[in-house]
Amino acid sequence: MIISENTFNNITVIALQGTLDARNATQLKQFKSAAASTTSVVINLSEVDFLDSSGLGAIVSIARVKRAQGGDVLLACMNNKVREVFEITQVYKLFDIYDDVEAATINAEKKHTSL
Amino acid sequence: MTFHIDTSTGKKLGIAALIGRIDSKNSSELITSFALWQQQTSLFVFDCAMLDFIDSSGLGAIVSCLRKAIEHNGDLKLANLSPKVSMVFEITKAKKLFSMFPDTGSAIQSFEINSTE
Amino acid sequence: MKTLIIIREQDYEWLDHFFPGIHPLLVPICNKPFAEFLIDFSILAGSEAIRLVMDGPLSDVERYCENGNRWGIPISYASIKNTDDLQTVIDKNQRFCSEDRVLIISGFVFIQYDKQYNYKTIFASLPDCEILSSNRGSLRLRGSRTETQHDMGNIPLSLLGFDSIDVYYRLCMEILNDISSPYVLPGYSNEAYCHIGRNVVISKSAEIRKPVIIGNNVQILADSIIGPKAVIGSNVIIDRESSVIGSIVLENTYIGEHLEVQNKIASGNILIEPESGISIAMDDPHLLTGIHQSGSAKSLFQSIVHRLAAILLITLQLIPFLLLTPILILQGKWKKSTNSYCTAVSEKHLILTTTTIERTGPLSTLAAALSLDRFTLLFRVLIGQLAIIGSWPVVATPSCITEYSKTKSWYRAAVFSYAETEEWPVNTGDTAIIERYYAAHGNPMNDIALTIKALLNRIHETNTHP
Repeated sequence: MIISENTFNNITVIALQGTLDARNATQLKQFKSAAASTTSVVINLSEVDFLDSSGLGAIVSIARVKRAQGGDVLLACMNNKVREVFEITQVYKLFDIYDDVEAATINAEKKHTSL
Repeated sequence: MTFHIDTSTGKKLGIAALIGRIDSKNSSELITSFALWQQQTSLFVFDCAMLDFIDSSGLGAIVSCLRKAIEHNGDLKLANLSPKVSMVFEITKAKKLFSMFPDTGSAIQSFEINSTE
Repeated sequence: MKTLIIIREQDYEWLDHFFPGIHPLLVPICNKPFAEFLIDFSILAGSEAIRLVMDGPLSDVERYCENGNRWGIPISYASIKNTDDLQTVIDKNQRFCSEDRVLIISGFVFIQYDKQYNYKTIFASLPDCEILSSNRGSLRLRGSRTETQHDMGNIPLSLLGFDSIDVYYRLCMEILNDISSPYVLPGYSNEAYCHIGRNVVISKSAEIRKPVIIGNNVQILADSIIGPKAVIGSNVIIDRESSVIGSIVLENTYIGEHLEVQNKIASGNILIEPESGISIAMDDPHLLTGIHQSGSAKSLFQSIVHRLAAILLITLQLIPFLLLTPILILQGKWKKSTNSYCTAVSEKHLILTTTTIERTGPLSTLAAALSLDRFTLLFRVLIGQLAIIGSWPVVATPSCITEYSKTKSWYRAAVFSYAETEEWPVNTGDTAIIERYYAAHGNPMNDIALTIKALLNRIHETNTHP
């Protein structure tokens, strides 16, 4: 899986490409801006074709750490398969999910400035 | 099930309280008990306040009690049916066979009214 | 123009009680799922795309509507949180809304429209506004470029808040009675007030009185009376000499002999009196029962595979168990506790004795690594009370029964949990996530692989399950 990073509206956007599963879940968790506890990030899932329970686990774990420190993880651009997984597992209730990366960054920034 | 005789109207009325469920497993108990109660009187009120559930065999048992009561020139009235049990009576058309009362008191009184006619 | 439909769980919770297992958007109104009415209206109003947004489960609706090809309009889906306000919902669907006009249908409401009117032109001339609103929902336009005022009073539309079973009942009866047929209803209709589906077998001595709607694959046996004012869903059997008058029978229902169903709603084995809102679950199959399509072949295979795995595990663990257990009991490290747990089968409770081993000292660590604490539970797999891998058995509490209907699709009490195959779960929420995932994506062969993985994980685990 290829992980790349960008900044948009002062918010870090981590873009994932490929499949997020057991093999590369750790890769994501160890990625610098994902691991850093205070920065809020938007994870761009538009190029993720599938994720499984470990992939979910990675995202949930990262969010847990960041939220404990006042940050957050927002998600953007899920395809149908990814959305289905979030839904069966009811993980969609834990995240703010956007259909557009820019909209996600604007809202992430709003949350930041209001804190 | 509990059973006692009430004589407040001057007549001997058998008041039976049906409790819990009456279904295929215990409906025969009701029939045998009823046969015993018939040795004491032929007028009955079934108090269904504690009756939670009834199925087609339970209904069949109550209807057969009614028939037997009528055969002996008596009657069987029902009181305190919960909405749920009432619905079972309704869809099986058994509701048309019985006089139903909101409480045991009015059921007992209805026997009294009959006697003055 | 596009349509954004926003439906929240709190608005349709009451419906779950009456029709458990049917997604609220798929509840049939005169045999047509509620969602289809919304789709029909959106198309009439001139939409080019629909997005359905909910804070609850979407998968059933998604499976039914798919991508909207059936109606020739693209349908997409999104999840929101129940705390999101309208602006947040729009933000989360920014790409969908973009700069277009959006018709926002929000709340669990039925839009009463008439297909003869040209809503497309009416809406095209409206500015941004709230077209209709009620205490249960609203219809509004956003992103219009026109500024012209329009006389709101003249739009042939009204909103019906969908908030009680009585409203549902009266709505169905009203639509049934309406000669002008403002909606497109399913079934063949050679005469007014009478729609009949495919493969409907009506006995010669049965009587059908208008108005009536009958779905597909319905059997109406001898001497029955259907109607007036009856809605019969698909896959329904009405047995001999019964009558269905002023009532709605939902799909997959069997109505027994000699019954009189009047002013009621019947769904599976649930009988509802709309006026009072009382519902009763009938246990007697002679009266009312659901007709189930069986998936038994698949579950048979699954139970065989699980039992074989249990037998294998028992044989492997037998000798270590016999050797180590007595020693650990003497050492006081073998702790048992008995509790009653929920099962996936209705309200039956299972009484299990679970064991925990304190991992202090070489022998107990070895025993825990070999998962000897699960040994006794393996026998429960053989008699079919537990699966070998699934969900942690949940302790039975009074609330267990009410939660049951929500969890029954994925909960399967087992010796091992899917959560033990992974390292990241921290709390019961996480565990539930993994259990749900595999309940949906699992198959028996995969279960074996996962059981092996769980066993291997336990070898280097530092603490046993609390």
